Amino acid sequence: MAHDVRAALFYSKKDIFKNRKIFIFITLAIIFATANIIFVNGFMDGMIFNDVDNTVESSIGHLNIYPKEDERFIDGLGIKEERLEAIKEVEAYSPRVSASGVLSYKELSSSIVILALDPDREGRVTRLLEKLDSGVAINSNDKDAILISYRLAEDLKLNTGDEATLAFESGEVRVYKVKGIIRTGNLDFDSSTVIMPLNEANRQLGIDNKASVILIKLLDKEMADLYKPLLMQNLGVNNIKTWKEEIEFLLRFSDAWRSFSRIISAVGLIAAAISVGILIYINVIHKKKQIGIMKALGAKDSFIFKIFIMEAVIFGLIGVSIGDILGYLAIKYTEAYPFYDDVMKAWISARFDSSLLYNATLVSFTVTILAGVYPAIKASRVDIIKAIWGE
Amino acid sequence: MKIIKTKDLKKIYWLGKIEVTALNGVDASVEEGEFVAIMGPSGSGKSTFLNMIGMLDTPTSGEIHINSNEVTKMNSNARAEYRLKHIGFVFQFFNLFMELTALENVMFPMMLSGHPFYKERAEELLEIVGLKARINHLPSELSGGEQQRVTIARALANKPKLLLTDEPTANLDTKTTKEIMEVFIRLNREQHQTIIMVTHNPELGAKADRIIHFKDGKIVEG
Repeated sequence: MAHDVRAALFYSKKDIFKNRKIFIFITLAIIFATANIIFVNGFMDGMIFNDVDNTVESSIGHLNIYPKEDERFIDGLGIKEERLEAIKEVEAYSPRVSASGVLSYKELSSSIVILALDPDREGRVTRLLEKLDSGVAINSNDKDAILISYRLAEDLKLNTGDEATLAFESGEVRVYKVKGIIRTGNLDFDSSTVIMPLNEANRQLGIDNKASVILIKLLDKEMADLYKPLLMQNLGVNNIKTWKEEIEFLLRFSDAWRSFSRIISAVGLIAAAISVGILIYINVIHKKKQIGIMKALGAKDSFIFKIFIMEAVIFGLIGVSIGDILGYLAIKYTEAYPFYDDVMKAWISARFDSSLLYNATLVSFTVTILAGVYPAIKASRVDIIKAIWGE
Repeated sequence: MKIIKTKDLKKIYWLGKIEVTALNGVDASVEEGEFVAIMGPSGSGKSTFLNMIGMLDTPTSGEIHINSNEVTKMNSNARAEYRLKHIGFVFQFFNLFMELTALENVMFPMMLSGHPFYKERAEELLEIVGLKARINHLPSELSGGEQQRVTIARALANKPKLLLTDEPTANLDTKTTKEIMEVFIRLNREQHQTIIMVTHNPELGAKADRIIHFKDGKIVEG
């Protein structure tokens, strides 16, 4: 049996490397199909991870504490802050206050959402204040400076340095200087948000020791589910959401995109498999006479089948190996030279995971061998007399 | 001892709805070590007969005994195994594997049968047919006569009891034809190789021990 396999392998290698054009075409089809699987899925994973990371880093905490149901604010902020300081897994936290108001500039005005935060603390939890289109960020001591979202700036024709009038829901009215224009990529946020220092907002809204939400950054965001009940108990709150719960829609959307990228890869792979199958089949047709001679010499049908399956195996080994390397290098290239997403204000790159390599290798190799099965069966059934004498 | 014996061998082909009788009750026998030429006009059934006794094709009816084994009832795997071990073929158009060198062409049937020293034996066979100096050449680099010598060496690879050859010199010039025939005669005389050769050429037929004449699917003489 072993000599049978050795003889089949011997002929397969000779046959494959003799016909260089067919070898190149088949190998290229497998190489690009394999590289495509790795790169498309790696890029999709990278985009999704970047998107998730960007969303989490720019607008939410790993854990977010909200007021009790039917209440607008979290009371006793100071005590809660003291307790948060004592929990070593909490890396940073940032209380925010949300309110409504109207921003006016010259004859134009617009309803807005006021997001009040402590810039120093916020900077330790999110990268929101880094998402500047123009100008500079506010700091904790600013009393007459605000940041506005870029669409609000467009609507009111406001530029950095302009002074706009802000009417708070409390009835207070003040003039603020636009210190910077912010763009996060989040449609709601970018349309009508004004960011201002927490102390100034508390003064104008007449509130103290309260927050609309407390954003918490953990040492490891994957531990959010674990620490959620701990924090609920420790702080005496019952409305905490993990980052996954906050971006549930985004995660579902991401899963849909992942499935879509798998489908794209599968279509590419099927197209490559059909090409490989056709090319091996053409090779079989050209080899009919040789197959007839082999059979006349005493080769069994199973031996002929082995020859062409081994050819598929060799094509698979070479094509998949090079495809793996190519896909890996393509991912590494985009990691080294990521694309800049101007909307999200974030760098996007593919993301390499060894499972990509394992899966692409397994799937491409299996499909390549399956593509060789039909031509191998046809080859094994060649009629000796017709093949040799061309009847 | 009879190496081949056929009994009432018939082969009928269908060309669409037309029945063609290629062999019509052939009773023949060949002794071990005999050199037999098969002659006859085109379409007389001589190549069909060769295909039958070479186990490349199956008869419509009748019996074929090779080495006292009734081979018509064998399945395709058993027939392939039998061909590999007991029958060598030399074809009219050489029919070498174009991607293999002369040495590899001769090695191949031995690799199939699991011969332990296939390379050494292939070199020895190529030396016997006078091609030792060209063992690493591809068929495309060899002349017609050299290619046919490689085919003969390949046919002898597994030491077959029976060497079947169909118009082995049809595509060769007179000088090469003579050289190839000398190889066959030497194999027959020196190694007692049983050879059955289909030919149109009466001069070549005359070199055999016996001539079997075919006409209309029947043996008419021999």
